Amino acid sequence: MSTLEAAHGGEAHAHWDTSIWPFVLSFGILALTLSFTLQFVYHLSLPAVIALGISLPLILGGIAGWTGEAMGTGEGLSFASMGWFILAEAMIFVSCFAAYWFGRLEAPVWPLPGSVELPKALPVLMTITLVTSSFTIHRAEHFLHEKNQSAFVQWVLITIALGLAFLGMSGFEWNHLIHEGFTIQTNLFGTVFYSITGLHGSHVLVGLGIFVAGVFPAMKGNLSPGFWRTAGLYWHFVDIIWFFVVSQVYFW
Amino acid sequence: MNLKEWVFTTDHKRVGILYLIGSVAAFVVAGIMALLMRAELSAMGPTLTANPTTYNVWLYAHGAVMILGFQIPALTGFAANYAIPLMIGAKDVAFPRLNAFSVWLFYMGVILALLTFVIPDPPDVLWTGYPPYSTITTGNTALYTFTVLLIGFASIIAGVNFITTIAYMRAKGLTWNKLNFFVWSILGSFVMQLIYVPVLGTAVLLVSFDKYLGTHFFDPTMGGDVLTYQNLFWFYSHPAVYVIFLPFMGIIMDIFATFSKNRIFNYKAAVYGGVWGIVIISGEVWIHHLYVTGMPDWLRIGQMVTTLMISVPVGLMTISLVGTLYKGSITFETPMLYALGTMFLFLVGGLTGIPLAVTSLTVNLSETYYVVGHFHYVMAVAGSLAIFSGVYYWFPKMTGRMVNETWGRIAFVFTFVGANVIFWTMMNVGVKEGLPRRYYDWAQFPQVAHDQMVMTIGSVIIGIGFAIMLLNWILSAAFGKKAGDNPWESKSLEWTTASPPPHGNWPKPPVLADDWSPYAYAKR
Amino acid sequence: MNKHSKIGAGLLALAGSAQALALDKYIPTTDRIGDPAAGWNHLWSEVLVDITIMGVLFAVVLAYLMVKFRRRPGVEGGGVKELSVGAAIGWAIIPAFIFLADDLFVAANGWQLWNLQRTVPADRLEVRLESGMYSWDYTYPNGVRTQNVLKVPAGKPVLLRMTSRDTIHNHYMPDFKVKEDSMPGRITYLWFYPKEPGKHLVTCNEYCGVSHSYMSGQVEVMPPEQYQAWYEEEGAKLKAAAAAPAATEGSAPAAAPTAGAAAQDNKKPA
Ligand code: HEA
Ligand code: HEA
Ligand code: CUA
Ligand SMILES: [Cu+2]
Repeated sequence: MSTLEAAHGGEAHAHWDTSIWPFVLSFGILALTLSFTLQFVYHLSLPAVIALGISLPLILGGIAGWTGEAMGTGEGLSFASMGWFILAEAMIFVSCFAAYWFGRLEAPVWPLPGSVELPKALPVLMTITLVTSSFTIHRAEHFLHEKNQSAFVQWVLITIALGLAFLGMSGFEWNHLIHEGFTIQTNLFGTVFYSITGLHGSHVLVGLGIFVAGVFPAMKGNLSPGFWRTAGLYWHFVDIIWFFVVSQVYFW
Repeated sequence: MNLKEWVFTTDHKRVGILYLIGSVAAFVVAGIMALLMRAELSAMGPTLTANPTTYNVWLYAHGAVMILGFQIPALTGFAANYAIPLMIGAKDVAFPRLNAFSVWLFYMGVILALLTFVIPDPPDVLWTGYPPYSTITTGNTALYTFTVLLIGFASIIAGVNFITTIAYMRAKGLTWNKLNFFVWSILGSFVMQLIYVPVLGTAVLLVSFDKYLGTHFFDPTMGGDVLTYQNLFWFYSHPAVYVIFLPFMGIIMDIFATFSKNRIFNYKAAVYGGVWGIVIISGEVWIHHLYVTGMPDWLRIGQMVTTLMISVPVGLMTISLVGTLYKGSITFETPMLYALGTMFLFLVGGLTGIPLAVTSLTVNLSETYYVVGHFHYVMAVAGSLAIFSGVYYWFPKMTGRMVNETWGRIAFVFTFVGANVIFWTMMNVGVKEGLPRRYYDWAQFPQVAHDQMVMTIGSVIIGIGFAIMLLNWILSAAFGKKAGDNPWESKSLEWTTASPPPHGNWPKPPVLADDWSPYAYAKR
Repeated sequence: MNKHSKIGAGLLALAGSAQALALDKYIPTTDRIGDPAAGWNHLWSEVLVDITIMGVLFAVVLAYLMVKFRRRPGVEGGGVKELSVGAAIGWAIIPAFIFLADDLFVAANGWQLWNLQRTVPADRLEVRLESGMYSWDYTYPNGVRTQNVLKVPAGKPVLLRMTSRDTIHNHYMPDFKVKEDSMPGRITYLWFYPKEPGKHLVTCNEYCGVSHSYMSGQVEVMPPEQYQAWYEEEGAKLKAAAAAPAATEGSAPAAAPTAGAAAQDNKKPA
């Protein structure tokens, strides 16, 4: 067995791959949970801010270092694995919706006392914005395949702008509702409304984060199709989930 | 040895060993909690502590750490990481950095779990964390939430990683039907993790929202529902027991094959009927943990039937296990002893699940020591013995040295005897006296005094068994006699490389012949 | 957490009135009086025999193979041929159907007992139970309340309608082989059949807080006449107390009035 002999040979002392970034990132996440705990369990704001101050650089630095190191590797497989990750993500939404259905279907009265009329026009506008952004990222990918770097970057930036606009509208609406006295503590519907739109919004934010992480290397000419295909898939998922949010939360 | 190349490693074997160290440490901590609990329960009234909360914190730390910190990481972390790439002839996993990330997230989760012992208000929500108690307790429920979230997140990304690895990185010529059974079991297990862990994560997160942010998911006065939580929790936590169960069957199946020098009996039935049967049915049985909560009749009856039906896929796997011995050439080294022990304990544990599945019997048995006995048989001892048989089995590969056989056998005897002494007695007091679980004091049940003492003695016996085992590993890793590359004379791919394997596993990726199979033993 | 805000209280009242009606429809009733505890014992021994046979069968085969096919010098073994397709299918289908048949047999018996356990005899004593950290508070039809002691007449089935004012508890009576959770926001029920006079343990079987293990009570089964006397006497006392309103202030039981309890059935309101 020649392979076996080679395995025993000099290569046993070869260099082992390492990366510091996963380690850094995990500490950032630990600090984030501690920050939450200090603030909301122990009401110690200063230590909580300090923990947050430690956490965010670790997380952002970890992500930046990681993407810098790994951008362009693992091309072929990331798209397929994103599909599995999306399955897990979808289940988070399913559980939140389940909590909502449970409460709503068993409630003796609906809307619950204390609920307010939600705006109807704004969610439609938000839907249009998000759907458009799905098309623009698709367009961007098209230019990526044509190796047209400047058009590609341009369309990605448009997508980012649309995503930001979406978040802006969402923030505007939250602000408006909170001023009307409808908060996350009002009743089950308030709880569900803010949790589900917030959960979705955080996914938009993560999607934008992925775009931003990729757009700088892209400007420098590091176009990695695998990365963008995967990022695009995630973005489409965020878009599709929004349809459920709109139909269940706003128009039911 | 270069410490940096261990801590920052992205190599699957080292990540696996990091998982092993972390999960065994968690096992020792949680095991010591068990001993404290047993000491408290050995006599009526306050024994070790006069404060019931202290006992409940031990119980929390015992249950949560054993499941989340020990068994799931030991199986889907250590065993999967160490063995899968080697078994499928891959250089590494698909995303090595992601792999390192998941092991460190797991460690962060363990750190959070250990904070339990230093903060003034440790979580006392037990491993199930039911509201409303978990939202009104003065204990720190957030710590429970984040422990679960970090370890859960670690296993989601591990799931993504391993499914991709198994699907796309198999060696040339390694077709699906030639995979080791263990690979299939890990695949099934991770598919379940991806579907169900997010549900658990959401459930425990919502509890903390209710408690700390003033939301009302589980608050009936504001439109919420307390049972929502239990449904979400068990929607994950039932499949979780099969996340544990599948890989442990996988390990002992491969050990059975290696030590009886046989192919797995009716491999395809065990894979397609067994593994995938469980993956499919496991999502429809969670109500059997809610038999006494007033769920609607149609759900209780329906899921009684599905729960009972689990015995079909499990039975197929059991037949494969037993059949693998047929016409074999069996040797009884320590890994095989542990695997056989697993098998016997699992029969007791699995079959005692059958009465529990029957909703009309469970209205008496639920939440009694009978349940505690059932799951310790099937999970705590069958599961642990399977994990440890895997460690014994791959020990020569990991360290290049053999474990001391004599001490291995002695440890086995202590463990096996102790396990039966404790957990048989538990089932007995559960059925005969209806002794409820989660009792700090059993003052209402003076008739169980004798049995309680017996169980405490049993826990010391089993503890000695585990202590010998751990000591044996440590000493053998340092001083054991040198192992060859293939000390068990196995045909499986992981034994074709050096012990321990170099970075990259093989100098050249292995290419498999047409008639290659991990179980192709020549007639001896 | 403003649990006791106005909105919450309003919701509670609504839930109470809407659900009180739905509940009676939900509890299935029969004219027959069965004995769930005896049924339990019977089914238990049946299932026990079943799983013992299964277990012994597998364990014996396993032990036999272990010994028979241990490696011995000069004896060939290992490397058996793969099953033929027919044999493989047979070894999958036949055991699968045997196991399935056994499962369905057990399930059918279980369902039968289940119907007995959940269908309440029409001729029954109904008592409301509100559990709390850490007591069992019973309210009889005539308004009499007791705490931790449930007095019932021998020979009459007893139905408990249960809810909780704080965490989840579980009313477990080991001698009667039944238990069911009580929880805030829902009403659950269980019934049992006390045949002979005597005393039986009630113990809390769901983790509910620090003193969970001390939360116990008693079912006191009395001879019917004795029970009737007690029941009427307490009822009269209650009436007298109500007639003299000033005196009630101090002597009201510690428990919150059951009438105000959150009441939500297992089902959606009709
Ligand atoms: C690895 C872990 C593991 C495994 C594999 C199982 C396996 C099973 N469990 Fe268990 N269970 C737990 C871990 C596990 N369980 C835990 C941790 C709890 C408690 C959680 C808590 O409340 O804290 C629990 C609780 C629990 C309950 C809830 C009790 C209660 O709280 O009221 C029930 C009820 O149905 C149940 C049933 C079963 C069944 C039917 C199986 C089946 O899968 C068993 C199948 C196996 C066999 C049947 C034996 C082999 C098969 C044959 C020999 C074939 C022939 C047999 C027949 C045809 C019958 N379990
Ligand atoms: C994988 C899971 C697992 C494992 C391995 C164990 C192992 C053990 N468990 Fe655990 N147990 C659970 C999972 C597990 N348990 C769960 C989920 C619960 C329910 C929690 C809840 O209700 O929320 C539970 C609950 C539980 C209870 C019920 C308490 C109650 O309801 O009030 C008891 C009581 O005796 C118990 C005992 C034991 C004992 C004696 C062991 C022994 O096998 C432990 C042996 C291990 C060691 C002893 C440590 C290793 C050795 C050393 C460190 C060397 C030093 C020691 C000596 C020399 C003696 N367990
Ligand atoms: Cu009340 Cu436990
Ligand atoms: Cu289960």
